Amino acid sequence: MLEVHGLQVCYGAIQAVRQVDLEVQQGELVTLLGANGAGKSTTLLSIAGALKSSGGRVCFEGEDITGISPEQIVRRGLVMVPETRDVFADLTVKENLRLGAYIRRHDLVGFRKDIEWIEELFPILINREEQAAGTLSGGEQQMLVIARALMSRPRLLLLDEPSLGLAPTIVEQIFRMIEKLRQSGLTILLVEQNASQALRSADRAYVLSLGTVAAAGRAEDIASSSDLRAIYLGA
Amino acid sequence: MLSDLLQFSIDALTLGSLYALMALGLVIVYGILRLVNFAYGELIMVAGYTLYLLGGSPLPWLVMAVMAIVMAIFTGIATELVAFRPVRERSVTAVLITSFAFSTLLQNAALLFISPRSRQVPLPDLFSEVVQIGEIIVPVRNLVTIASTILLLALFALILRRTVLGMALRAAASQFRMARMVGVPANLIISTAFAISGLLAGVVSLLWFGRIGSVVPGIGLEPLLVAFIATVIGGMRSLPGAVIGGYVLAMIDTGFNYLLPQDLLAFRDAFTFSIVIFILLWRPQGLMAGPATGQRT
Amino acid sequence: MSNTRNIRPQVLLTVLLLILPLLGLALVIDIIEVNLAERITTLLYINLILVLGLQVYMGNSGILSFAHIGFMGVGAYASAVLTIPVQMKGLALPDLYPVLASAQFSPYVAMIAGALVAATVATVLSYPLMRLSDAAAVITSFALLVVLHTIMVHWSAITNGPRTLFGLPKATGLYLAAFSACTMVGVAVMFKESRTGLLLRAVRDDETAAAAMGAHVSVLRWRGFILSAFMAGLGGSLWGHFITSFSPSAFYLKETFVILGMLVIGGSLTVTGAVVGTVTITVAFETLRITENAVNIAQILPMRLVGLTEIVLAIAMIAILILRPSGIVRGAELGELAVFQRFFTRAMHAKSTIEKQQEESKL
Repeated sequence: MLEVHGLQVCYGAIQAVRQVDLEVQQGELVTLLGANGAGKSTTLLSIAGALKSSGGRVCFEGEDITGISPEQIVRRGLVMVPETRDVFADLTVKENLRLGAYIRRHDLVGFRKDIEWIEELFPILINREEQAAGTLSGGEQQMLVIARALMSRPRLLLLDEPSLGLAPTIVEQIFRMIEKLRQSGLTILLVEQNASQALRSADRAYVLSLGTVAAAGRAEDIASSSDLRAIYLGA
Repeated sequence: MLSDLLQFSIDALTLGSLYALMALGLVIVYGILRLVNFAYGELIMVAGYTLYLLGGSPLPWLVMAVMAIVMAIFTGIATELVAFRPVRERSVTAVLITSFAFSTLLQNAALLFISPRSRQVPLPDLFSEVVQIGEIIVPVRNLVTIASTILLLALFALILRRTVLGMALRAAASQFRMARMVGVPANLIISTAFAISGLLAGVVSLLWFGRIGSVVPGIGLEPLLVAFIATVIGGMRSLPGAVIGGYVLAMIDTGFNYLLPQDLLAFRDAFTFSIVIFILLWRPQGLMAGPATGQRT
Repeated sequence: MSNTRNIRPQVLLTVLLLILPLLGLALVIDIIEVNLAERITTLLYINLILVLGLQVYMGNSGILSFAHIGFMGVGAYASAVLTIPVQMKGLALPDLYPVLASAQFSPYVAMIAGALVAATVATVLSYPLMRLSDAAAVITSFALLVVLHTIMVHWSAITNGPRTLFGLPKATGLYLAAFSACTMVGVAVMFKESRTGLLLRAVRDDETAAAAMGAHVSVLRWRGFILSAFMAGLGGSLWGHFITSFSPSAFYLKETFVILGMLVIGGSLTVTGAVVGTVTITVAFETLRITENAVNIAQILPMRLVGLTEIVLAIAMIAILILRPSGIVRGAELGELAVFQRFFTRAMHAKSTIEKQQEESKL
C-alpha cells in the first residue's frame, strides 16, 4: 500500500534522513522505532507532504505522491497525526472533528454517522463536545487528534509518538484504541519511542538510526534481538 | 455638558468604526499568515480611483460603490499572488519588503497613469445630509458608518463562528500546517483572507471618502498607519483585539482633538503615538492575546 | 570575554577592498571634471552613508526599521539651524528661538552635531520599541517615521514648516563625502565585529536562546539603533550642506523606499552588500533617469514619464526577494571570500611553522 524508496530529507545543511526504504502492506500495523534524532518524525512528515524531501520516492496505492501538497495527500486517504498534536486550540472539540472531515464536508449524512462512530471509539470526547480543545488534558488531546484524523476516513494512518508525555494508564488506553482501529481494518504506520509497547501491537518493525534503516523485520524478531538495544544506545 | 459628551461619543464611535474596520482588514491577513501587508492602504486608494474613474458615468452610486469594492477585492488577491505567494516560505522581512515595494508600485502607477493631483470622488447625496439629535447636529454619514460597521462586524463574526470557511480560517490562524494536514487547502484559505481584507478595505474606503471627498496616490498611508497602530495596540493576532484597538485609538485621537490647545493640535499624531508607546511599554504583546500557538508575536 | 578582540585579517581586508575603490572613484571623478558626474558621485557617497546606517541596524538585528530616514531629517535640520548665516536666519526661519538665531557654527562642527542630535533623539524615543519583535517592531518604526515627519512639518520655528528651508552653506564636496563614506564603512564593519554586533546577531538568529544566555535583548538593539541613527543624521547633515535647501518631504516614504531598496538588493547581511547595492542602484537610477528625460523631451509617449524609476525599482526589489532573497551579496563580506581564504590559511600556516622553528631553536 505504501512504498518509500530512498527517501532523503534535509534541514538546511543537516541531512536528517539519508536513505530510508520501507513499505507497509494493507491491514498491517508497522512501527518505526529509533532513538531521538534518528529521523522518524522527519520521515513521517515527509510522507505526509508536510516536509519537502530532497530525494527519493513515496508511492501510495500505486501512485507516486512525492512532493504533493499535504491537502492533496489527505484527499488520497493518507492522514498523519503529528507528534506535536496540534489541536486547533481555540476551536471546540466538535469543530476540530468537523475540520477533520473537511474533505468530506459536503456529505452531511456520512458526517453525522461518523461522529457517532467516533464517539463510540472515544467516549471521553462525548461530554466535551463544546469545550475549547486547548483546555483538554494531554491524553484527551491525543484522543482528539486521532479522532480528528479518522474523520476523513483514511485508509492509511500515520501516527507520530502518540504516547509522548502521557501517563502509563493513558498510554495503555491509547494502545488499546490503536489495536481496535487496526482490527477494524485500518492500516497504520506508527512511530514510537516506547519500543516495547509498539512491538507488542505491531506486525513488523523498522529501526532507524541516524537517518537510515538499521534493522527491519517481524515485530517478534526485532523485540527479541539484542541489536535493538545497541542501536538505541548507539553502541 | 451632556451634548458635549454626546458629540464626543458620536465622533469617537464614528472614527472608531472606521478604524476598527481598517484594523480588521489588516489583521485578517496577519492573523493567519503572520505577514504584514504593506500594500493594504492601496486597496483603499484603488477603490477611490475606481469611484473617480466611474464618476462621469450615468451609473447609480450604489453600482459604482460595488465596483469599487470589487476592485479592492481584486487588488487584494493580486497582492497575494505578486507579493506574498512567491516569498511566503522565506522570512517575515522579505514579505514586508515585497509588499512595501508593491505598495510603491501601485502608488506610482496611479501617479503615472491617472494623476499626481487630487481627484474628486463622487458621493451619494445621503452623505451630505445632517440630522439633529438632541442639541447637536450629526452628519448622516456618521450614523451610516456606525451602523454599517456594526452590521459588518456582526456578519463577519457570524461567518467566522458558524461556517466551515470561518472554522477553516480560525484553524489556519491557529495551526497553519496542521490545517493543511487535515485537508484544508492552504492557498484557498490565504486567497480568501486577502479577499475578505479587500472587501473590508472596500467598504471602509466608501465611508472614508465620505469624509474626505477626494483621492490622491498617497491616500492609503493614513488608513495603513491606523490599521497598524490599532493592530499593535490590540494584540497582533487577535481579531477582536484589532477591533478594540481601533476604537481605543479613535478615542485617544478624538480625545486629543477635544483636549489639546490650538497650537498643539497639529502635533496630535505625535501625542497619540506617545500614548501608544506607553501602552506598548506596559503590555508589549498588546491588549488581547491572540490564538494560542506558543509563538512570539 | 573582553571588548577588544584581535581583529581578523578578513575584516581588515574587507575594509580595504571597499574603501580603496571608493576613494579611487573620487579621484577619477575629480580628474574628469564633469559637473554632473561629480554631483551623482557625491550623492552616491551620501546615500552610501545612509544605507550603511540602515545595514548596521537591520543587518545585525534582523529588524526592518522604517524610521531611518526620519533621523536623516533630524540631522539635516539640526545642522541647518546651527549653520545658516545669522543674517539669513531672519528670512529663512523668522520664528527661530533667540538662542539658536544668534548661533552660527562651522559646517563641519554642525554636521557632527547634527549626527549627535539624531542619535540623542533616537536614544530617547526608541527604547520602548526595542522590546518588540518582528512585525510589531517594524510597524512601530513606521509610526515613528510618521511622527518625526509630522514634527518636521509642524515645528515651523525650527524647520520652516512644510516650506523649503534655504540658506545652508554648501560645505559638502566630493572628497568630504567620500572620506565620510569610507569612515562609515569602517564603523559599520567594526560594529559588526564588535561584541554588541555579535550578540545582536545571536538575538536575531534565536531570540529566546540568546536571552537565556544572558543577552540583554533590548539594550543590544538599542545600541545598534542609536549608532544607526547617528549615521543617518550624519548622512542628513552632509546632504543638507550639499543641496543647501530642502523641505520635510525629502525625509519620508520615497527616500525610505530608495535606501531600503539599495540595501535589500545589495544584501542586508553584509557591509559589502550595502556598498554593492548603493552603487548598483545609483547606476541603474541615473540610467533610468536619463532614459526618462530623453523620452519626455522627445515626446515619444503621449504622457510624461513620472515615477517610472520607482516602479522599476519596486519590480527589481520584488524580483530579488523571490530569486535571491539575501541580495546580490549574500552572507560573506568581501574579505571573507573563498578566493582570499587560501592566502590566509597559507599565511597562518607559514606563521605557525616559523613559530615552531623558533621554539625548537630555543630548546
